[in-house]
Amino acid sequence: MTAPKAVLAPRSPGFFAALAPGGRRALFLLAIIATCLLFAFPVCWLVLTSLRPGYAVYYVHRGGDFTLDNFQEVLRQEIVLKALWNSFAISTLATVLSLGVTVTSGYMLSRFRGPVPTVWFGAIYVFRCVPYVSWVLPLYFVTRAVGIFDTYWGLLLPHVAVHICFFSWIMKGFFDGIDPSMEYAAMIDGCSRWGAFLRVALPAAVPGLTALAILCWLYTWNEFLFALILTAQNTPILTVVMAQFVHELGMEWHLMSATAVLALGPALIVTIFGQKYVIRGLKI
Amino acid sequence: MPGLRRIAFDEKQRFMLALIAPAVLVLVFFQILPILTGTNASFRDWHLNDPKKTWIGLTNYAYVVRDQEFLRIVLPNTFGFMAASVALSLIAGLMIALLLNRQFPGRWLVQTVILLPLMVAPVIAAIMVRWMFNDQFGIINVMLELLGLPPVAWLTQKWTAFLAILLTDVWLWTPWFALLLLAGLKSLPPEPFEAAQIDAASAWRTFRYITLPMLRPVIVVCVVIRAIDAFRTFDIVWTISGGGPARATEVFSIYAYVEAFQFLNFGRGSAAAVLGALIIVAFAMGLYRILNRWVEVSK
Repeated sequence: MTAPKAVLAPRSPGFFAALAPGGRRALFLLAIIATCLLFAFPVCWLVLTSLRPGYAVYYVHRGGDFTLDNFQEVLRQEIVLKALWNSFAISTLATVLSLGVTVTSGYMLSRFRGPVPTVWFGAIYVFRCVPYVSWVLPLYFVTRAVGIFDTYWGLLLPHVAVHICFFSWIMKGFFDGIDPSMEYAAMIDGCSRWGAFLRVALPAAVPGLTALAILCWLYTWNEFLFALILTAQNTPILTVVMAQFVHELGMEWHLMSATAVLALGPALIVTIFGQKYVIRGLKI
Repeated sequence: MPGLRRIAFDEKQRFMLALIAPAVLVLVFFQILPILTGTNASFRDWHLNDPKKTWIGLTNYAYVVRDQEFLRIVLPNTFGFMAASVALSLIAGLMIALLLNRQFPGRWLVQTVILLPLMVAPVIAAIMVRWMFNDQFGIINVMLELLGLPPVAWLTQKWTAFLAILLTDVWLWTPWFALLLLAGLKSLPPEPFEAAQIDAASAWRTFRYITLPMLRPVIVVCVVIRAIDAFRTFDIVWTISGGGPARATEVFSIYAYVEAFQFLNFGRGSAAAVLGALIIVAFAMGLYRILNRWVEVSK
């Protein structure tokens, strides 16, 4: 199954050459279709399940009854509405805060040499590796002690902390790709260091920042472990609410699926509108 | 050293510190401080329902490293899961990247479909898998039935549950590998491939001796990042099996969480978490060395 490189036609007799002229093309087409099916099927199945009425949900593959009642029933629950709003607010705020904090840190890592950047980079690498459980368990006590447990801040700031290490690293990459001579020129012309950063370097990094913002939003929207431990009744988060449904609703798969599709919707919209910015920003 | 006594930093140093100050502050208060709190708790008799907090030295650690559950099940599960998940998603991601590196009509559509798992929350993926692998009504068993095979109780046996979790993770992360490897493939210079074509090298030999070595830096970086993340997998295991049946599919994160928040022994859970952190940091350091050497060699 080693698909050959685009421009190359293998000339030595091999498996592919031994096939009939149309054979290789058919095999290629088959591989494409199989891949698409593998990746799309689970999501399609979820959507299909969410559209089935309660009595028909156990035999999704049979019968043709479809309904939107599941969504209505789920949206009638206050906790789901609250969780949708909370997830949206937390994701958006966390994105803004994380980017604001890491863009300067990445710029510093990219533009300066010496002991401070070296130590900071080492710290980032080490703390990026520390497993989340190792700090989210005691974080429960820390946020309680500070009095921000189960509030927006109590979830926002830990989320920013999660992003600091990885994003600083990626931001460094963005700024590494931007020629610093423009900033030097601006400084010679009387711009301060802050001016050079804010007016020259930052605008040049906007495509990368946009890409990272989209990824950060998606990541926070989908995050589970921090939300599970750091929130209670006051700030329900969508992923946690869904995981509770698994254990509480148990057999009500049509409602489960409807909630999951609701959670998938915003992520889907963000991805569809953001795809081109991500591809441009990360130069994929 | 005269510089040591000077407290005022010069203008450049002040700028550097101001740039990282917010990040350092958040990191210290919301990551380093909790890690220290956790380390402190791991040396104490700290039950959530009875926080005596008396110093008991290494008792919690001694319990964890002697716990048969931890040694025989959790560690092999964690590392087995890490190795299998990274290997499978790397191979699948590489194949998809090679597929997408060609031009064909509808390529854009295929790329969008393959991006799908990247936006699905692991919890949602886990719910999907639970439903699809449901022993009575799941579509997988329906398909088995169509093939004339007996239904399998997927999530109530250790290895089938483990397989379901593994496949979910591979499904979630293959697109990530595919995207980064595709970016790597596109940045390769065309000359070696043209030379190989002139020399009539077969597709396999071109791949094995040109594509793979040139792609190695990207592959190594992807594998290191993904391996470290796979070590701390929590959400899909928690939602698909909850560590069950009978704690048979617990991985390291689940073990620490269950000890701390279900058995309410916060000290012991913290000890497990600290041990896991030490293991993975040592592992990451080793990987970093290898990564540095490999990437330099190929430059």
